[in-house]
Amino acid sequence: MSNTLRPYLAAVRSTLTAALTLEDFASQVVERHNKPEVEVAQSKEVLLNPLTISRNENERVLIEPSVNSIRLSIRIKQADEIEQQLCHKFTRFMMQRAESFVVLRRKPVKGYDISFLITNNHTDSMLKHKIVDFIIQFMEEVDKEISEMKLSLNARARVVAESYLAAFNS
Amino acid sequence: MSPPEVYSLAQTSITSHAFNADRSEVAVSLNTKDVTIFAREGHEWKATETLSEHDKIITSIDWAPNSNRIVTSSQDRNAYVWQLSPDPQTGRMIWKPTLVLLRINRAATHVRWSPNEDKFAVASGARAIAICSFDPEGDWWVSRLLKKPIRSTVLSVDWHPNNVLLAAGSADMKARVLSAYIKDVDKKPSPTVWGEKLPFNTICGEYTSPTGGWVHAVGFSPSGDALAFASHDSCITVVYPGGPAAFTIKLTSLPLLTLTWTTENSLVAAGHDCQPIVFSGSEGGWELTGSLDDPHSNKSSGGSRPGAPAAGRLNSAAFNTFRNADSRGISSGPGSAAAPATESELFTVHQNTITSVRLYAGVPGNVTQVSTSGADGKLVVWDVNQVTPASATGLAGKMAGLRI
Amino acid sequence: MEVNFRKIDIDQYDEDVLLESELYEPDPRDPAQVISDAKQKAATVRTSLAQGDIAGALSIVLEDAPYGPNVEEAKNLTLQTLVSILNSTKATEISGIVKSLSPDTQDTLMKYLYKGMAMPGWGDVSGSVLLGWHEKLTEAAGTGCIVRAMTDRRLV
Repeated sequence: MSNTLRPYLAAVRSTLTAALTLEDFASQVVERHNKPEVEVAQSKEVLLNPLTISRNENERVLIEPSVNSIRLSIRIKQADEIEQQLCHKFTRFMMQRAESFVVLRRKPVKGYDISFLITNNHTDSMLKHKIVDFIIQFMEEVDKEISEMKLSLNARARVVAESYLAAFNS
Repeated sequence: MSPPEVYSLAQTSITSHAFNADRSEVAVSLNTKDVTIFAREGHEWKATETLSEHDKIITSIDWAPNSNRIVTSSQDRNAYVWQLSPDPQTGRMIWKPTLVLLRINRAATHVRWSPNEDKFAVASGARAIAICSFDPEGDWWVSRLLKKPIRSTVLSVDWHPNNVLLAAGSADMKARVLSAYIKDVDKKPSPTVWGEKLPFNTICGEYTSPTGGWVHAVGFSPSGDALAFASHDSCITVVYPGGPAAFTIKLTSLPLLTLTWTTENSLVAAGHDCQPIVFSGSEGGWELTGSLDDPHSNKSSGGSRPGAPAAGRLNSAAFNTFRNADSRGISSGPGSAAAPATESELFTVHQNTITSVRLYAGVPGNVTQVSTSGADGKLVVWDVNQVTPASATGLAGKMAGLRI
Repeated sequence: MEVNFRKIDIDQYDEDVLLESELYEPDPRDPAQVISDAKQKAATVRTSLAQGDIAGALSIVLEDAPYGPNVEEAKNLTLQTLVSILNSTKATEISGIVKSLSPDTQDTLMKYLYKGMAMPGWGDVSGSVLLGWHEKLTEAAGTGCIVRAMTDRRLV
């Protein structure tokens, strides 16, 4: 399994680099407005083809590019119900604090666990390759985080069970 | 052999820059609603004046060299012409704004003076281009709109040397050549390869790149007989209407945003790849010759690693980490985390997207230096004859063949 | 209160509205023609594969690939043929093969790789094979090739 992680992240990295070619673009529908075109989706000529990168059915990334913003959504691996729970809690915790993460979206796109919204303001004020690094690092960390949480949850459950059942042991 | 002159004007993004005639001053927009004028003091640039009238981000600036007037366009739907005139109270020379009646209801995106400096064109998100000329009776600038075939935001404009034809690139994936003939201003133009009779709003040509993409930049060759345009599909296309032929070069790097011709047979283009790229060719065909930036040698500060590729390609530290780390769990150890401090710089002079490249020294047809500004707040002057060959920079562009 | 009127997209009635179909040149071929072409190619590809000519097989299947609406069947058939080629290639050969393709063919291949990845588990589509090809193709054709997969409205 793990030998597909590297090409998977490499594919996300190259696609994200290609998609992060943003520029300032004022709305051509509403005057004096300037909003992420990928979210409003009112002028289809400034939206590009969304691309999916998948490792398998349960792990995939959707990148929706547009002229001044991109939306990147991640479906995180969830092998069993514990992982589902943990993933849900974890992403919820993050998204409730979305402002601190700057590029995080408050709600995931349907069918995915967590979404990022990167606009031209972000690529202007931050170095582009750093944003790419951040996303890739996040993808690496989140899997590890969840498996670690699962391990400690199991360990804790074992301790609880042992000390509870110890009462019946004697 | 002089290295490029690099000036860091700001920490913020520079959306547009324009020099005056003798290159002693430069007007830039630092991604704000004000224009800042910098004056050269030795090897430094000092901010001397701020022109504030717009109330949204300024998208483009152009400085007419002979009449010494500045025109600015902004997302607030307006354009202003700025002229030096004495202050009635103090007698000091100040830049005085004149509002232009653009009659557009969306953002103005790009502005350029015509070669004779009696007109200018304002591209806009209202699916129109405003051609403005001065009306001495009303003492203001009036505009006429080029509207008809344009279906989306116009991203860039460029004037033909005959002062009549205008090229426009827009987000509906098309580059067009239109007539901006205004009876009261222009003399009857002599026939060109683009057409003979040219009343206002004649469409002389409509071109598109085969793989689509918004047209970010357009440019007439110095003679006006060829048109180059850069589109978001990482392609650059050169059109010879007399041919008639169009050459498309597909790049392996990220899209280009801006271009300028240096001679009749070469042009410099730059964009998301953070380095100015040189193309050359003629009616027989075009090719990528190289880059003005030499990613191997020009990093004066920071640790330079040999053989590192330039921006836009898969170059970063984290990528190399993933190359080595196939399995889960070893990724966050020291040395494999994504961003140690020394690796935060790209190997190009510009650290972020280049938004504008302009003629700096020379005359159209024989340009010796070009200037670029970018989202990293840098202004750089390059010698156009110092080309690092494509093979040494890892750049590649392939001719996608000729289209008739 | 009736609020549905707020949801009407009035912009679609604008006479200047830009339609999806105007964003690219339509395929001049008839849908029936396209599907018969695709079937014919599938057969040719099988012979090339039998002879071990993978680069040749790829060029055949990617040349004039079906795009646009109303040709779903031909598109699926082409994807299936392509996936069979990709799956039967040795990992060590991929790099050489993608380098030998023409730029246009590389662009089309990239579009199919993303199409394949968008439907994991469909037919014989395997994520790891596609990712392997994607990596090698990006090395050969650069990020420009990915940008073109995004901008090209001629969806395969």
